[in-house]
Amino acid sequence: MPATTTQSAPFIEFREVTKSFTGPKGRDIEVIQPPLSLTIDNGEFVVFVGPSGCGKTTVMRMVGGLETPTSGQILLQGEPVTGPSRQKGMVFQSYSSFPWLKVLDNVRFGLKYRRDVSAADKTRIARHYLDLVGLMPFAEYYVNRISGGMRQRVAIARTLAADPLVLLMDEPFGALDALTRERLQQQLLELQKAERKTIIFVTHDVHEAVFLADRIIVFSARPAHVLREVIVSDELPAERTLDVSETPAFRRLRHEVLALIRDEELRTEAAEIAGAA
Amino acid sequence: MKRWSAARALFTFRGRVPATLELWVGIGAFVFVVAAWQVVTGLGLVKPQFLPSPVAVVSSLWRLFRDDNYIADVGISVARVWVAFLASAVIAIPLGILMSSYRAVGAVTEPLVDFVRYLPVPALVPLTLIWLGIGEGSKVMLLWIGTFFQLVLLIAEDARRVPHEFIETGRTLGAGDTALMKDVLLPAMMPNMVDSLRITLGWCWTYLIVAEIVAANSGIGYQIWTSRRYGKTPEVFAGILAIGVIGLATDQVIRLLHRRVFRYLA
Repeated sequence: MPATTTQSAPFIEFREVTKSFTGPKGRDIEVIQPPLSLTIDNGEFVVFVGPSGCGKTTVMRMVGGLETPTSGQILLQGEPVTGPSRQKGMVFQSYSSFPWLKVLDNVRFGLKYRRDVSAADKTRIARHYLDLVGLMPFAEYYVNRISGGMRQRVAIARTLAADPLVLLMDEPFGALDALTRERLQQQLLELQKAERKTIIFVTHDVHEAVFLADRIIVFSARPAHVLREVIVSDELPAERTLDVSETPAFRRLRHEVLALIRDEELRTEAAEIAGAA
Repeated sequence: MKRWSAARALFTFRGRVPATLELWVGIGAFVFVVAAWQVVTGLGLVKPQFLPSPVAVVSSLWRLFRDDNYIADVGISVARVWVAFLASAVIAIPLGILMSSYRAVGAVTEPLVDFVRYLPVPALVPLTLIWLGIGEGSKVMLLWIGTFFQLVLLIAEDARRVPHEFIETGRTLGAGDTALMKDVLLPAMMPNMVDSLRITLGWCWTYLIVAEIVAANSGIGYQIWTSRRYGKTPEVFAGILAIGVIGLATDQVIRLLHRRVFRYLA
């Protein structure tokens, strides 16, 4: 690939993307409409929020090649996304780590299909990332012996070990208690600072969104379109501690995003009630 | 006091009971049934031709082993069961996985398998005899038919139940189809698959008796059938007991291995 195209093209680009499913009775259900165009920069932390069921996860899964756009294209470094690959790492909310493997082997699985790395290096790299998420003491534990928060850290370490271009996270902390979630959010920001990975993160927790994001993309109810883009990095410091959530800027951002989603939720509910009547 | 509350838990809806207490209750129930059996037969309430005493059953089982080389019958029956069972498993495991993984395979095989599954296996005995004669082949064939079509659907279901997240995680880490099946699907479904195999092995014993009663001159089923012909009820019971003990022992060994191998599930 010529170097010039990588430099000129956006890191991730949605080009006029729409998505629809064929629902029951053969009816088309539109998930993304009108066509979505969007760009994401290298190293950017982008958070997708929106009312539940709006299609934000579908948008993210299309970047991962786990869903195909009905029309339009998604480009990663100027190359169209055609299917899942090691370049697009995914962290799920549940079943994120493999129960039949020990913690270190889970992380090592991220390197399993890399031919360019020797077996010894795979172990060394896996140990590096396990250390990075602070789980070295648990290397030889099966995942059923560690907490839910630790399991998510295992999944993150495994995905990073695969050295993807972009990290896709589907409500990864959604099933954790508030304190664990807070700690993992901070650790994720530290990790991103160290690794300089591009992250797309889906959540319905607005507090989490504002705390993590460089930019929040607020989606409408289905069919999803972008309601607003909130550039968080303009208003909050890059260096974020827990105290940041007490600042007026943080509260204002949180309020702004929350109000948008609430309105959407109310509108859909009203529409559903009208439709049912 | 503590013991009393443990006993109460036995009668509580979804109560939690210590494992040792549960074991003792189980043993107690077993002992009670055997004791009741001994009492009923000992008092002569039932004629021995219909229900021999447990002591008579055990002693005739002992006599079978000592005088009639019964170990050879047991051996041939176990061999038939395992040959048929392994032949089923060797085909059912890959086919079941493919059925659940590729709609092309599933759409073709599911209706066929479902149809054959409902055919009564004993009714196929004449066919297996016509096809393969009265040798070992026809018996193994019957057992194979009896288990394969059930097993393949169980395996397909086990594969289907593997969470999609595991598969997608594998994909995003660069696994191709073959690698996904070998490195993700198979280990993920393994605990349930071993359970499916264990259950199917039990069914094998049912069909074994059918096969051996109809056309055999060796095996536990054959022994049960000839004992009946000569009116030796204790030896009929002895044969049934032998199958029960073998079945129970195999089941427990597999369960134990299951717990050992799949420690990560606990």
